[in-house]
Amino acid sequence: MKLYAYCLVEDLDTLDAPVRGISGAAVRLIKMDELGILVSDSESDAVPVTHENALTHAAVVRSVLDRTTPLPFRFGTLVTEQQLSSYISARKPALLTKLAHVRGAVEMSVKIIWQLPTENGEEQPITQSAGATFLAEKRREILGDERRSAQASTISAWLRETVTSLVRDEQVKVRPAEKLVLSAAHLVERTIIPKYRETMAAARQARPDLRFLWSGPWPPYSFANIELEFKTQFGVS
Amino acid sequence: MSSSFDQIIVGEEWEETDISILETLDHVLNSGLVIAGEITISVADIDLIFIGLNVLISSVEAAQETLRKRHLEIKAE
Repeated sequence: MKLYAYCLVEDLDTLDAPVRGISGAAVRLIKMDELGILVSDSESDAVPVTHENALTHAAVVRSVLDRTTPLPFRFGTLVTEQQLSSYISARKPALLTKLAHVRGAVEMSVKIIWQLPTENGEEQPITQSAGATFLAEKRREILGDERRSAQASTISAWLRETVTSLVRDEQVKVRPAEKLVLSAAHLVERTIIPKYRETMAAARQARPDLRFLWSGPWPPYSFANIELEFKTQFGVS
Repeated sequence: MSSSFDQIIVGEEWEETDISILETLDHVLNSGLVIAGEITISVADIDLIFIGLNVLISSVEAAQETLRKRHLEIKAE
């Protein structure tokens, strides 16, 4: 028997109401080292990535969001009780630091898509040799990459400046592919969510050249990655 | 499972239901605490709703990488 772990919480002793988790199993709150963990029993060794399971995971984590700010586990976290206990014991200081960092806040998500305009006057001659065609194509690729990277930096800086007074922390990923995709997660105090939404609405109006998708509040999924930070800080994997 | 927070999703051109699922999957698959080696997922229907939306690239990449590793493990057994 394994435990499916949904999230870590502080200052919670009970669940408000019965909650069903993955495969309909009852979710319960267990205590380890003074921290609470929402878990359900699992007979299986793998969790299929399905709509239902992913939405169930999200719903369980969200079920406590109005009472506390949880640290979510990633989807598919199946462990024995012993493994979970060892994890909590070994990382308790880091987990407490994380919980303090997100306390009283939620995650707001912003995605921005920008289509790189096609260049004028760069059409290749029809009677070009294979080598020349290849070099022209490479040149276009390099120029496109440079433009996308520059644009990504500009948009990222603009977004940061727009929300800087409203966010406690941020995680930004930029994917300058055919279409630039900038994905930002903002850690925002619960009390200023209305102000954040107003600011984002105004930002959207101000930049009709960009396509926006913003959502929230979410549990702070993007601010719960201890393993990644360890790798980044110490350069090991 | 209600919350006192109204979760708002603002997008353009896409159906809100699709975006809601998309955003949820983006969060639960791509981030969160990881207990090393204990993520156990199967990806039979990972290609469900993401094709063409371009904002879940990392989820798909993560799923494909997981699938590739599982294939390698199966081969090694």
